[in-house]
Amino acid sequence: MDVKIFQFNGCNKCYNESILLTEESKYKVEFIEDPKNWKETKTDFAVITGYLLPEDKEVLNKIKSNSEKVIAYGNCATTGGVYALAIQRGNKILPLNKFITDAQNINGCLGEIEELKFVINDEENSQLKNLCIVCGRKTTCDYLDDVKRQIELDDDKTCFNDLGYLCNGFIAKECKERCIDYNAPCRGCKPSLERSGIRMLGMFGTLMGNIEVATEHSELGATDKLADRDDEITDNLPDVLGNFFRFTLSTSGLPRGRIPSSGSIIDDVFTGRLIEELPLISGLLGGDHSISLTLKIIETYEKANQIEISETTKKYRKELLELENQLLEAIKRKDPEQYKKTTDEIRKIGGNMNLSNVFFGGFRTQIDDKDNFEDYKTHVFDVVEGTYKNGSVEFTIDPIGIVKEIKIKEV
Amino acid sequence: MSCENIDPEVLEKMENIVVFMCNECGQGSANTAGVARMAYNPAIRIVRVQCTGQVGPIQIMDALNNGADSVACIGCCLGACHFFNGNILSMHRIKLLKKVFKELGYSDQFVNQYTSRAAEGETAVGDFEDIVIRLADAIIEEGTIKDGC
Repeated sequence: MDVKIFQFNGCNKCYNESILLTEESKYKVEFIEDPKNWKETKTDFAVITGYLLPEDKEVLNKIKSNSEKVIAYGNCATTGGVYALAIQRGNKILPLNKFITDAQNINGCLGEIEELKFVINDEENSQLKNLCIVCGRKTTCDYLDDVKRQIELDDDKTCFNDLGYLCNGFIAKECKERCIDYNAPCRGCKPSLERSGIRMLGMFGTLMGNIEVATEHSELGATDKLADRDDEITDNLPDVLGNFFRFTLSTSGLPRGRIPSSGSIIDDVFTGRLIEELPLISGLLGGDHSISLTLKIIETYEKANQIEISETTKKYRKELLELENQLLEAIKRKDPEQYKKTTDEIRKIGGNMNLSNVFFGGFRTQIDDKDNFEDYKTHVFDVVEGTYKNGSVEFTIDPIGIVKEIKIKEV
Repeated sequence: MSCENIDPEVLEKMENIVVFMCNECGQGSANTAGVARMAYNPAIRIVRVQCTGQVGPIQIMDALNNGADSVACIGCCLGACHFFNGNILSMHRIKLLKKVFKELGYSDQFVNQYTSRAAEGETAVGDFEDIVIRLADAIIEEGTIKDGC
């Protein structure tokens, strides 16, 4: 079977993951890093990875006319992925089905290689359950009294949403990355239904039913109406787009943003996000350098605010950085065995390839049973306004913890 | 400010204002206004729903994506929902949706929530007037919602 993997824009984690296809000799895999200069040849399967811009239309038409089946692999290709958050600042990022209507979608950040194999082999994938069904935490769906931006990790039995900590599990399918297993809430990278973000917005709005909403007297009708001032509802969720539409903004039906762009898509994705969400976002879009970028952001903030970290945390972080180098080496040599071995090691420490286990001040779950978890357990940290700079990363956060400006080089 | 002071050019831009009205107080007040022959802006399009709690961001975005210039919900007075607390839940969802519009750089006046009293037609007409005034302000400041799509 002839499979061609095309890497378009942005993070190349899904592109790298497809190295695992070369393990089986029945797939004749070819990697095309620069689709614009691709010499057209016929293929059975064209796998599209990375986010898509309007100018990619011509290349995609060429790919379509030369392939039997086109597959969008990973969230960037299917729904614009985390890069689609740049739409908030007027950028145009489109899902593959805007160019090729009959393409098959494989959602997920990271896209699952097993699912890609199922599609290529034309096999039936087992029906995936809703994430809440397989989640170990139990929900009551009671109205919330308050909403929290960070939680202590003591309770691992109660649903995140019941704790007032927004989790998109309601609208997500079970996945391999399973952020929820690492005390990180689901952000809905594998939606179980269409327009998932906006449905979750309605759902969470309902859950907030006990929280006071600001109303005011209407002069004209002499009745009540929603007030225009901020209230507990809006104060508790300072970044609604980043939390509800992290992967689906381009397919959400919301209008394109009017906020002026900074000129860089990466910077636009990060601007407006919350400081506590930065590690999960950098882990999602950092590509080859997601580990070093995530740790750089975390360590910059920790150092400036004297957040103490233990020797064990330092040890594990150093191991992660070494593993990143090994991974780069495996990718360079297109060695599936080494790639698999290294990613397994990264998953052991970082939780998954999106580094859900990595956070400010330590880790979210115990890495090794022999360790004393209290030694490197992360805790709720204070949001401190200021400008943070460390080599290639510089960011400014406002008093409520929203990133106002960010400059990242070399991603 | 009243509707009479709005620039006719701005009023012309308002073609469809979708108002979801609950079957109890909302629609009741509109009926009372109709019986009393009270006039309101012809762009207002009333959609009768059982309770504003039925209306969520999906229905509001569908309306806006299909040509509405603005959307509002009119429910029962606070504490007087004929079911349980549908009007309050709707308020919460609309508040979040307003925040989404703000975060995208749009005016948050394209979606609103009001209450009205069935026995007083002027409450419904007053709400309609308020919707039009707010939409006029938003159009003057930032253009219609269609300008950005």
